[in-house]
Amino acid sequence: MPQFLPCRLLLLVCVVAFASFIAACDEKLSDLAGPSPNLQPTFASIQHEIFETTDASGRAACTNCHTDAGGRTPSGGLNLRHDIAYTSLVSVASRGKTGAVRVIPGDVNDSYIVQKLEGQPGIVGERMPRTGGPYLTEGQMSIIKRWIATGANND
Amino acid sequence: MAVHQVIQATRKTGTTVRRLLAATAICAAVLGATPAHAQQAAQPAQTAPPAPRERDPDQNLDALQPDFTLLALPTTLRLPRYKMAFRVTHRFGRPLGQGDFGDLASDFFALDSSAQIGLELRFGLMRGTQGGIYRTNDRTIEFFVEHNVMQESDSRPLGLNAYAAIDGTNNFTDSYSPALGAIISRKVRRLGAFYAEPIWVNNSNLLPSEIVDHNNSFLLGIGARVRVRRTVYVVAETAPRVAGYDPGTTYWAAGVEKLVGGHMFQINVSNSVGTTISQIARGGSHDTFLGFNITRKFWR
Repeated sequence: MPQFLPCRLLLLVCVVAFASFIAACDEKLSDLAGPSPNLQPTFASIQHEIFETTDASGRAACTNCHTDAGGRTPSGGLNLRHDIAYTSLVSVASRGKTGAVRVIPGDVNDSYIVQKLEGQPGIVGERMPRTGGPYLTEGQMSIIKRWIATGANND
Repeated sequence: MAVHQVIQATRKTGTTVRRLLAATAICAAVLGATPAHAQQAAQPAQTAPPAPRERDPDQNLDALQPDFTLLALPTTLRLPRYKMAFRVTHRFGRPLGQGDFGDLASDFFALDSSAQIGLELRFGLMRGTQGGIYRTNDRTIEFFVEHNVMQESDSRPLGLNAYAAIDGTNNFTDSYSPALGAIISRKVRRLGAFYAEPIWVNNSNLLPSEIVDHNNSFLLGIGARVRVRRTVYVVAETAPRVAGYDPGTTYWAAGVEKLVGGHMFQINVSNSVGTTISQIARGGSHDTFLGFNITRKFWR
């Protein structure tokens, strides 16, 4: 019996080490988010980090154009002002392209906002932001897509 | 007459005395020799060379389970304590189905293409327990440890290893994917060995768990090594993902191998160039790749 003790101790050590290591193995969302490290797949976070903030890469905030602040007319009829952004986006038809819907909950590929931000073929007008870049990174887009895929909730 | 009798009596007495002296000398010699004899008998116990150590049975060739891996999946073969084994893996990057046969022949059946190469060193930490390190040239490093919980025998129908591994990309500085599992083996008399390997791989999906549905994979490795000649084997394995993250197609691989002394030479085809557990958990492709493994055991 004593001869098995080292084996069991070793196994126990391995299991404990593994359990603690596994807890730390998941990739960090902040690494993926890149220039907006606090970005989360929630509407409140996207509103703050993407729509309202010019990020570390120099990508312009959406509300530079898509706002009615100061009596301006929101570009493309899309108003991303803090209190009405959600109702301007989710399940709302695009004014730029007939038949397109800005955000379709659960349908990433058909959500027009994704097509515009990625500059996909078939969009009307320019890729966003229209400043000619920097654009949203792949990681930032992944987080926005996740929010849409999980139902585009007003969370 | 009286003188004659005296002389005879004296001779008899002398003979008797000589006999007595001789007997005394023999007794003394015997008595004196007894301790020496006893000492001689005791000496071998003190000075004889120690009996040769019994050979570790783990060093014996297991003809039905001659290697530590099938193609990429582990087996339950025990590595003798303090002994080492080395393995090199190659998976050529050119799909065999790309282009026509002439294209394939001009690329010398994919040998002209780049390859994912892996080098592995494993060591017997203690009886029944082995650990090792495996690095592939996509800069992934994998550490693994196996412990033989149950050895197949006449009274135990299955062999069982506990298995743990972790690999990290970019020379073990980036994405880490730990794995835990069991390796169950069953040898079939003279035919070969069969394996079932339930393995859980954490962080097989290299995206943060916040933005994916599944971050882990649970795969069931299934494999076999069939002995077709005395030193020739046919090996095959697959690893369907039964739960969790399961991109691509189900990984599979098959090959033929030849045992030559302490070496095992294997040529194989597979639908993935991945050879670590987490790479296998990420599935295969619709292409087929040529590859080979060479194993060397350093005690045979």
